[in-house]
Amino acid sequence: MLFHNLRIAWKSLKRNWALSVLIVAGIALGIAVSTTFATVRHSFAKDPIPAKSDVLYYVRMDSWDPLKPYPGPDPTLPPTQITYRDMTGIMRSDIPRRQNALFKSALYVYPDQKTGRPFREMVRLCFSDFFPMFDVPFRYGSGWDKKADSGPEPVVVLSEEMNDRLFGGKNSVGRTVRIADREFRVVGVLAGWDPGIKFYDLTQNFIEKPENIYMPFSFVKPMQLRTFGNSDGWGTSGGLSGFDGFLQSETCWIQMWVELSDVAALARYRDFLAAYVLDQKKHGRFQRPVNNRVSTVREWMRDQKVVPPETTAMLIVSLLFLGVCAVNLVGLLLGKFLARASEVGVRRALGASRADIFLQHVVECELIGVVGGTIGLALSLGALAFLNQWLKTTATRGDLFRLDVPMVLMSVGLSLAAGLVAGAYPAWRICRLSPAVHLSLQ
Amino acid sequence: MEFGPILRSMRRNKVRYGLIVAEVALTLAIVANCVNMIRDARRRMAIPSGFDDDNILWVMSRPFAPAFKEDGYLDNSLRQDLAVLRAIPGVKAVSNTRFLPWQGGGSSMETRVAGSKGEMLRNQVYNADESTLAALGARLIEGRNFTREETESEAQRLRQLFASSRPVGGDGTPAEKISQDVIVSKAFGALLFPDGKALGKRLEDSDGDQYRIVGVIGRFYNPYGWPIHEYVMFFPNYSRSFQGGAGFLVRVEPARKAAVLASLEKALVSANGGRNVQVKPVSEIKERFQSQSALLVKILALVIFLLLFITSLGIVGLTVFSVNERTRQIGTRRALGAQRGDILRYFLLENWIVTTLGLALGVLFAFGLNVALVARVNSPKMDPGLVAGGLLLLWIAGLAATFLPARRGARVAPAVATRNV
Repeated sequence: MLFHNLRIAWKSLKRNWALSVLIVAGIALGIAVSTTFATVRHSFAKDPIPAKSDVLYYVRMDSWDPLKPYPGPDPTLPPTQITYRDMTGIMRSDIPRRQNALFKSALYVYPDQKTGRPFREMVRLCFSDFFPMFDVPFRYGSGWDKKADSGPEPVVVLSEEMNDRLFGGKNSVGRTVRIADREFRVVGVLAGWDPGIKFYDLTQNFIEKPENIYMPFSFVKPMQLRTFGNSDGWGTSGGLSGFDGFLQSETCWIQMWVELSDVAALARYRDFLAAYVLDQKKHGRFQRPVNNRVSTVREWMRDQKVVPPETTAMLIVSLLFLGVCAVNLVGLLLGKFLARASEVGVRRALGASRADIFLQHVVECELIGVVGGTIGLALSLGALAFLNQWLKTTATRGDLFRLDVPMVLMSVGLSLAAGLVAGAYPAWRICRLSPAVHLSLQ
Repeated sequence: MEFGPILRSMRRNKVRYGLIVAEVALTLAIVANCVNMIRDARRRMAIPSGFDDDNILWVMSRPFAPAFKEDGYLDNSLRQDLAVLRAIPGVKAVSNTRFLPWQGGGSSMETRVAGSKGEMLRNQVYNADESTLAALGARLIEGRNFTREETESEAQRLRQLFASSRPVGGDGTPAEKISQDVIVSKAFGALLFPDGKALGKRLEDSDGDQYRIVGVIGRFYNPYGWPIHEYVMFFPNYSRSFQGGAGFLVRVEPARKAAVLASLEKALVSANGGRNVQVKPVSEIKERFQSQSALLVKILALVIFLLLFITSLGIVGLTVFSVNERTRQIGTRRALGAQRGDILRYFLLENWIVTTLGLALGVLFAFGLNVALVARVNSPKMDPGLVAGGLLLLWIAGLAATFLPARRGARVAPAVATRNV
């Protein structure tokens, strides 16, 4: 029956070519526009690490100026990063299953003379837990072990891209690379890791790809590494200057993550942080009200406004656009169906029930929805390719906007819904026509 | 006029006309809001920096040779670079500074009027030299510029001062305060001294160190993460280090921009090969900063175009349908003496009524959608003038879309009425 209806629907579409093209083009445009902008927004808004989003937490504390709040867009939020002193203070906790302090620096890499001139690269300073914590996949080797954190041992992990550049893509584990003023031993090469939005550091340029080099955080002191990301300071220098002064200062420049196995651990960790802050208050620090945040990945993304408001505006506009296309479709279908009222009259007179007629026309609408939706999906692939190309001009990547399975499903769902919503009324109208009236006109 | 028959016919076909009303209403709402967003983006893009953006090149020298770790070597290299850059034909001014217009950030500090108990105010802060204003094309409106000697001596003084920790007094701040001469923007001066008399006044930071305002520049706008885009303080100092490199702003004669751009990297690297040199026109940095707004404008314009197309299509469809359905009635009217013009007028009037109903509803939708957008995505408030413009546009589009099918209707021969009855 369905097949029969489909055949009739196809014939009906073929009969009035121009009108069918208009109808299908209208729905295709609506689906293309809405799928494109839904995908753009989704690329920012989706959970970047779904497997672990219930155990990863970003830590913030309000160590800011007693006289006024941190000057972000929301005055109730503490600074986005923590100080070096607090990082060393709270890393003493044994409540988290894993924990990590991060920042990025810009350092020179000195390849073999044959490979080329020295070049400057973004380097992620982190602890060994970084790799298991964020489910980072390895092509060769692995992350460094805990011992290397405290040494610190001169070890690095390279991205696949950097391994291609420095070692021609071969297994480079055990080989050395000179970074800044010392030799580092490669212990691991990543397997094309790309979480989309760089969720582990949302303080700056989170559209960029992850860094190409990872080294133990503790090199911060011996190498006197300054952050290349944001560093927010306030208040007196206390007379301190130089690198030690920087580490002792109230400057916030480190990102802090913990992995907590369950809600009990989360509660204990919150208590621990509160106790830490109260203790610091005794030493004259943390004079603002206690305002600790142990945020999920999603909460942290929301606070950092990862989803650009423009994408939300465009999504709203594009859904309304689809609405206009659907309304337009109702009008066109109504005209199309009523134009063949006499034909329906014949079918009814020959015994077709109202339900048969209704079903036949709804199937036709759904066929239009599916054909239009498919074309729309193809158009949105083109539009996304264009947007990715544009992204390349402002960021180091051109592949952030990707049509993934949920988006394809949404698009198909929207097409079917548009077909049904637009087709239901015309189909109902046509099936209600009395057969006699239209037969008499023949 | 045939208001009576039209309204009666519309009442019998509520859904069909209702659809067009809804479509027109939604279209007006979307178009007005899109144009509103376009205007907002355009407005943001049109904000001038106050500098000669098109003729400034940004040069960054990033040393890798270990020799650059030594202060004396860095200073010599800096002087050499300045000389090399200034010798290039077509170069008007060269400044060594960390400031870079349109990079979407920079560095900031907090100050207040010296001796006051007022609130500390945040401002952007950059080192500068005697050529910074010339390189930017910024205008000094009061006071004086820095001198070369001042830049050199301040660089030495600040370096010595921060070479070791400073002894602190009872309040935890450095016991011995220093004072620096600074140039501020007019907007920052006015923020601190609402009477407009900033020149010669002193500011202090949270260490109690003082800043004497010796010069005031006119417009300064550099977008920052915090709302301090127009507040700046320049102080004389070098900007060069091993890790941070040395930044330069080079102002060129417009006609020789391309030639200078092409020669800069080679000139610097051949003067000293122990580093990498990156060169970029400030216009490109500005373009990159604004690229999101520029793209948004294009996308919104495309959406408006497609939407008007679809809606016109809908109106054409409705009129064709309505003409086809009434072929016999038209024939009857024509047979009874109606002129072609009467028929045409009938359809145009019918469409005008439908469009107008839609537009009336659309005005409500437009403001409603705007309220939603303002609340969610801090889009700007709707300008009623835009809605009025949208009304006019859709009225015209509606009549244009009706005209062709209606004219076809008007051509129906009176004889049609007598056939097929």
